[in-house]
Amino acid sequence: MNISKIANLKFFYTKTRKISSFLSAFTLILFCIGIYWGLFIAPTDYLQGNSYRIMYVHVPAAWLSMQTYMIMAATGFIALVWKIKIMEIASIQCAPIGAFFTIIALVTGMVWGKPTWGTYWVWDARLTSELILLFLYIGIMVLYSAYSDKRQAIKITSLLAIIGLINIPIIHYSVEWWNTLHQGPTVTKFEKPSAHITMLLPLLYMFFVFNMYFLSILIKRMRFGIYMREKNNKWMEELKND
Amino acid sequence: MIKNLIKKELILYFRNLNNVFLPLIFFFLIISIFPLVLGPDKLLFDNIIPGVIWITAILTTLLSSNNFFRDDYNNGVIEMYLTSSTGVELILFLRIIACWLFTCLPIILFMPLVSLLFDISFEDSFVILITLLMGTPILISIGIFGSALTLGLARNNILTPIIVIPFYIPVLIFSASAIDSVSLGLPYDMQLFILMALLFLILPIMPYLLKYTLELSINN
Repeated sequence: MNISKIANLKFFYTKTRKISSFLSAFTLILFCIGIYWGLFIAPTDYLQGNSYRIMYVHVPAAWLSMQTYMIMAATGFIALVWKIKIMEIASIQCAPIGAFFTIIALVTGMVWGKPTWGTYWVWDARLTSELILLFLYIGIMVLYSAYSDKRQAIKITSLLAIIGLINIPIIHYSVEWWNTLHQGPTVTKFEKPSAHITMLLPLLYMFFVFNMYFLSILIKRMRFGIYMREKNNKWMEELKND
Repeated sequence: MIKNLIKKELILYFRNLNNVFLPLIFFFLIISIFPLVLGPDKLLFDNIIPGVIWITAILTTLLSSNNFFRDDYNNGVIEMYLTSSTGVELILFLRIIACWLFTCLPIILFMPLVSLLFDISFEDSFVILITLLMGTPILISIGIFGSALTLGLARNNILTPIIVIPFYIPVLIFSASAIDSVSLGLPYDMQLFILMALLFLILPIMPYLLKYTLELSINN
């Protein structure tokens, strides 16, 4: 209906084609450097040995899992208030990425937990809140797929994401309060190894790489989302025939 | 107008008394399943019975708020609500309260009987009762919010709980923490105050949120 909005999607779709593949290749190179830095150059921890190196994947993934949720809620808010199509697509496409980061954080945490704690899983504050975050993502994806009208679905999931944003600090802090009654072994363990600069630098670098990865995947997924929404439109047909 | 609205809600619930008794029966049925599954170990039940009561209360609130707007949606009453000029928020608020009165309050009133059956000490059962009294209105209103979110879908029997349960967690944590504290002999007023704060934060916001959600769900 509104020509500027459709043009906006088309503009994004055509302009990001090259940027997207360039970003992916760039991220891959950065990632390889970061992995080499973290796995070979960074010094061995005197307490945990080499097993601590998993934190170079684990910690950025956990950070990104929270950050992606915030981006999803923020873009969802923009989509609800100003009804910008591209933000709707960005919001819902954040959900699978965030779920993916959450799963990576959980799985790498389990792998790290086995040699360090002697068990794969502890029902501790951080782990439980991360698991709940995964369920929030899954709920949003399930709700989105249940609606057949996708524009309405995105409005509903955006609202859910925003309400869930209020939920996140409550989960986080209340779980900590809940745990102070028992014990809190996890959080402080990380602080000792990451304090040293030679270990901290690769971690920050990996955080940057994960952000780049998030960006390139988000652009790819948004292109996919635009394609799915506009595949019956004229301009997409013309693009396909080219 | 408020008087008429309250009267209408009461009549609706009293005409179909099943609505009042079924959650109660469901609650007692689930409670009595636990000893069957876990064995009648007195020591074990002393530890887990507050959790069992809370889980059962959650299941009951989930089931009773699951299809809260369904009939009204099919009748077209929701559209009438949204197009009417009078305060929809007030109607929604009264309906939340009515739903709580007829599904959760009976359970809370029967808590002394549950304490008797499982031999819970007076102070413990008092704290459980207080947490239920403040927690279940929050759970009910969040459940109703979930049912409003899924209103546009044909069948949503298991989808709504999946969406809603993560939002239950703050309430659960503080209730469990209060009950833990009282059984350990620690002060528990902080958790109860936080629960109360949550209650008085969520209840006034919820009608407005519900109205917005209904608008989103209905506009196709």
